[in-house]
Amino acid sequence: MAESIDAQAEARRLSRREFIKRVIASGAVASSASFVMGGMAGCAPRTRAALAGAAERLISIDVNGELRRVDVLPQETLAMTLRYKLGLTGTKLSCDRAECGACTVMIDGVTHYSCSTLTHMVRNRKVVTIEGLRGADGALHPVQQAFVDELAPQCGFCTPGQVVAAVALLQRNPNPTREEARQAMAGNLCRCGAYDSYLNAIMRATGNTGEIHHG
Amino acid sequence: MLKDMMPHFDLYQPDTVDAAVTLVKQLGGDGWVVAGGQDSFDWLKNRVKRTPAVVDISGIAELRGVTDNNGGVTIGALTTLAEIEAHPLIRERFGLLATAAGRVASPQIRNVGTLGGNLLQDTRCWYYRGGMDCYRAGGNMCYADTPQGQNREHAVFGASRCVAVTPSDTANALVALEASFVLRGASGERIVPAADFFVGPAVDIRRMNALREGELLVAVNIPATWAGAEFYFEKVADRAAWDFALVSIAMALRTEGGTIRDARVVCGAVACTPLRLTAVEQALSGGARDAATADRVAPLASRGAQPLGFNGFKIPLMENLVRRAVRGGQA
Amino acid sequence: MANAANNKHLGKDFLPPDVIAKVTGEAKYAEDFRADGMVFARLLSSPYPHARVRSIDLSEAEKVPGYVGVLLPEDVNNPAPPESPLLTMEPGYIGSAILLLAAESETAAQDAIDKVRIDYEPLPFHLDPLVSLRPDGPDAHTGGNVGGAGVELQTIKWTNEDFANAPAGAMPMGKAAQEWTYGDLDAGFAQAKLIIDTPFVHASNSHHSMEPRTAMAYWQNGKCILHVSSQSQSFILPAVAGMIGIPPSDLVIIAEFCGGGFGSKGAAYTLQALPALLSKKLNRPVMMRISRAEEYYHGAARMGFQGQVKLGFAEDGRLLAADLYIIQENGAYASFPDFRNAADGLSLMYQPAAMRWRGLPVFANSPWRTAQRGPGYNQIMHIMEPLLDQAARELNIDRLQIRLKNSPERKGVFGSRRTAVTSCYVREALERGAQIFNWEEKLRLHGQRNGSKITSVAVGQAFHPAGFTGFDGLVRILPTGKVHIHTGVGNLGTFSHSSTSRIAAEVLKVDWDDCVIERGDSRRHLPWNIGQFGSNTNFTMARTNFVAATDAVNKLKAIAARRLGGNAEQYDVDGKRVFRRGSPGTGLTYAQAAQLAIQYGGSFDGHELPEDINAMTKESAAALAGTGLIGVAKDTLPVDGAPSAFAVGFVQIELDLETGKHTIVDYVGVADCGTVIHPAGLETQIKSGAVQGFSVAALERIVYDPQIGLPASIGYYQAKPATYGDVAHRFHTSAVDSPDPSSPLGTKGIGEPLLGCAASALLCAISEAVGGHVFNRTPIVPDMILNHLHGRPQAHGPLQVNCQ
Repeated sequence: MAESIDAQAEARRLSRREFIKRVIASGAVASSASFVMGGMAGCAPRTRAALAGAAERLISIDVNGELRRVDVLPQETLAMTLRYKLGLTGTKLSCDRAECGACTVMIDGVTHYSCSTLTHMVRNRKVVTIEGLRGADGALHPVQQAFVDELAPQCGFCTPGQVVAAVALLQRNPNPTREEARQAMAGNLCRCGAYDSYLNAIMRATGNTGEIHHG
Repeated sequence: MLKDMMPHFDLYQPDTVDAAVTLVKQLGGDGWVVAGGQDSFDWLKNRVKRTPAVVDISGIAELRGVTDNNGGVTIGALTTLAEIEAHPLIRERFGLLATAAGRVASPQIRNVGTLGGNLLQDTRCWYYRGGMDCYRAGGNMCYADTPQGQNREHAVFGASRCVAVTPSDTANALVALEASFVLRGASGERIVPAADFFVGPAVDIRRMNALREGELLVAVNIPATWAGAEFYFEKVADRAAWDFALVSIAMALRTEGGTIRDARVVCGAVACTPLRLTAVEQALSGGARDAATADRVAPLASRGAQPLGFNGFKIPLMENLVRRAVRGGQA
Repeated sequence: MANAANNKHLGKDFLPPDVIAKVTGEAKYAEDFRADGMVFARLLSSPYPHARVRSIDLSEAEKVPGYVGVLLPEDVNNPAPPESPLLTMEPGYIGSAILLLAAESETAAQDAIDKVRIDYEPLPFHLDPLVSLRPDGPDAHTGGNVGGAGVELQTIKWTNEDFANAPAGAMPMGKAAQEWTYGDLDAGFAQAKLIIDTPFVHASNSHHSMEPRTAMAYWQNGKCILHVSSQSQSFILPAVAGMIGIPPSDLVIIAEFCGGGFGSKGAAYTLQALPALLSKKLNRPVMMRISRAEEYYHGAARMGFQGQVKLGFAEDGRLLAADLYIIQENGAYASFPDFRNAADGLSLMYQPAAMRWRGLPVFANSPWRTAQRGPGYNQIMHIMEPLLDQAARELNIDRLQIRLKNSPERKGVFGSRRTAVTSCYVREALERGAQIFNWEEKLRLHGQRNGSKITSVAVGQAFHPAGFTGFDGLVRILPTGKVHIHTGVGNLGTFSHSSTSRIAAEVLKVDWDDCVIERGDSRRHLPWNIGQFGSNTNFTMARTNFVAATDAVNKLKAIAARRLGGNAEQYDVDGKRVFRRGSPGTGLTYAQAAQLAIQYGGSFDGHELPEDINAMTKESAAALAGTGLIGVAKDTLPVDGAPSAFAVGFVQIELDLETGKHTIVDYVGVADCGTVIHPAGLETQIKSGAVQGFSVAALERIVYDPQIGLPASIGYYQAKPATYGDVAHRFHTSAVDSPDPSSPLGTKGIGEPLLGCAASALLCAISEAVGGHVFNRTPIVPDMILNHLHGRPQAHGPLQVNCQ
């Protein structure tokens, strides 16, 4: 990326407006491809095993009521551990930036974006994923059944996250109004646009049939 | 290019503040402190910023919780936004903060995002986030403040080479409530008033706050000054959820016999820091809380604003939000 | 067959077989598969909007622990420009894929990517077609600045006079790449009482499918096993095989579930082939997980438009003449004919007596653009419907009446060839919607103020033609009596793979429980089918399943006649039996008939196949030969005209004049989709199509810095697709439910116009709330509204694109 280094050096000699004019004229762009944040001293990894508080790699996590022993890298997110180490692929990755909710899981009963949770943060906590919702006899969770009955999912990719968020909502508030459900579900994107169907399903799951909208 | 895999870092998970402070000191500049991580992980996944080590303080129980403090409250920095939104004491005394916390991003973010993290999060300037070598990133350019720069979300006040704005919803409420921040480092603790805590590019172009290397934000004190006052908070954003303010307003107001005695009015997303509208505050004093006063003071909100190519709408929006805040009631 | 009451399946709700897997997390998408020894691959994307790669240095990357190998541009067979290259030495936008690198872990792969050193020579670039059309304007790639979408790759530059001649704010209109005219345009304008002549911009917007287009590939016994994210199953197979360089019979495609596509995963795309090629090179399974940013770069976007339209209306609101010029922003590579579709859309919906269309598809240094739900047909409605309201206002005509006045009737014609549609009930849809919405009553609320909020109501319409024919159907009756319906259509989430399969069940008169749908994996012996796009499923697949099931019924009757005497015409089917008419006791169960089919062989069990079916269908049917009674046929049913779907939407909003923000209080959507085959599925489509419409109209954006070519709207929060809180609080849905005469079962499509009518209605409602048509562009966002209401100039130029 010699080009970008030269461009930056040149920029220091020019005023900003002049530089922009030049950028436009030349079509060059100051590349971000290999840009490393300045000021973060000493980027080279160092061994600090001696420092107190360093995380152990082999840990146990409680997922869907089972204690699972797993080797977890320090930077590993819960979504990756679930999907690639524990075989729980119902948790989806869509944005991987805590923006869409496809990776929603419950941690101690509260919804989290598992793509933006370090697995090491959930030691000693209870994780529930979409795979943990069915009854012991394999029956669908009432929320799952309501989603089926309302034909709520479309492409289905956001659905596991929607179901988990809805289950968490009803655990906290068994009788939300449709508007309360709308607020509570706001962190789960559905690009197909099935929001009204999902809200119908939640109202069905609560037995609040008066707030199911059809026709 | 934005990447998608966090590079390796060493992870430390201290469980006391003292341990964390010691660790951060030992790591020198190499320790990146993470609480909820909802801002940090983006930077690391994008590989726009890197760190050799992460200090995860989310397990420090002593930094969590809300306590009474002589009619005010002290809030541990790791208290989540959801806890703040729901906390009876905060709702009773400082509903302004509860409302602001409830307007952050999405339920999942609020479940894990901490007050400290919301206050310390980095700006959302898309050029900076995209990894451009701008002033704030240590370079020699501002890409947003250019003839065709896409700066709809950027600052109309306080630009100094950089035109990025504060992304925090709670910061504006805390400035209005005259909170102060408790910072702890290896050499001890210091308390910084909210108004001094947030800094613009003229003061420090690389940081948005007064936190020094090696220091942790451990608590926020809200004095009794504005407890139970009249409040108004509104955030105007493109989307109903998971969005940053185009402009937001936080107001605390005391009236006496129908007359405004004192007010704090703060705008978000118009400058690099929460912007106190002191001219509006002064003009409100002695007026009635009604539409006439609202119309009279609103134009003062944007006095001195310097819009860029795409953000001139923030001027009428600020004024309108002041109007609404002063009128009160339903937005 | 059209009357639902007489049907066993059509018009009735059912449990689609794939819905339970979606709520349990068991539904497997491409990234959910694993293979032993799988390596992880990451793309290296161009940081330049346009450049030439001088050299690629892998020496440092190869040293990263875990590095396995790389796929380079020299390893792939790129199609001729302007088609999208698989990997390229001339990246055409920030995000263009240059190479694919594999390592033992994804982190290692990214670490190695970071160590690849590439020497780029930056080339001129642009993000505004009008810039490229200037005499000295840059070209997005070296082969020319215009082409794709059926237009030859070429260079078109306008003259300085072309630019100088344009009145202030109007679009310059130099040489077009394509044009057509019908009727006497000059006479139309001469007779017009009102002429509207305005420039417009329709922003591009990314598809942003929730499932990034991850692909995983491995090779087994000489065959490539490929897990992909695709709207289509059979349709993409030959093209993907072509990109990999193998015969279609050596490719297995597994695409049982697809996490959203909206047009961007309809046809084969380059990322489907890359892991297969790298897997072959490395002899290891390759998982290529696609990130959200990469989905932005490779997941396509709707075509953006810049244009000028001149409309001449008679005093009674009739559109006499329309003159339309559209410049389409293609992105860097070959795209889709939105700019032509738009002209057809205008000519059909308003039936102008005379019309001229000119169009120019221009490349820009932005990601690949392709069809997005209603390509072109919807954009033009978003532009035209607010203009129709303006005409209504100036001519003092009710906004519903001006639409009825110009409405295409039963056999509306469109385009330069004056093609007729097969059916059109848009008038009925408008009348039905007005009744449900209570248009007259709502008009009294229109304009009412409540504090800073103003109520506004509006109506919008849209249209989309669909109607591919000539694909094959394949059904099979097993000796167990079960009916296996083989469908290669794909799974976009509309459940229409199943609802159209029910047509076979309807024809065979069997219970749904006795049917098994075979789909999602080409090893399940699937027929050659259309992809799930363009509103074709309900029309095209209804026909293929009809002809295959009819073939099966005929074979059942022939077997019965052969076994039990008489001739085939004397037999009938019902209750899983084929029996003699008038003598129901004389018959065979389907199970018995299937057993006999195997015994008789020949065409009965697939050992002899029709000549006219596609090679893929032949191969599939041949593989199934001897397993039961095979019903297989090509759809050669006649079609008279263009089967077309219509939809209308009515919306009530409150616009806050102090913030520029709107709330959608009420929405009514009415579909003209022919016979309704799956009411619950249709209701969902009407509502969710509207959600996407609201999103396109007033939220979603694509933003670029034109100086450096950098995109701002990569992630969701920057691109701003609608969330739970941004959509209508109350939806009502209805359908005309009148059969289309060209389909044996009366079905036609519906998906696309459900977006367009809602977007149009919302754009109209916002415009009407602020005093009429003032925003000649989409999306309309709060800053534009505030600037307008406060007398501030708009930040964007009249024809500026990729901004705000």
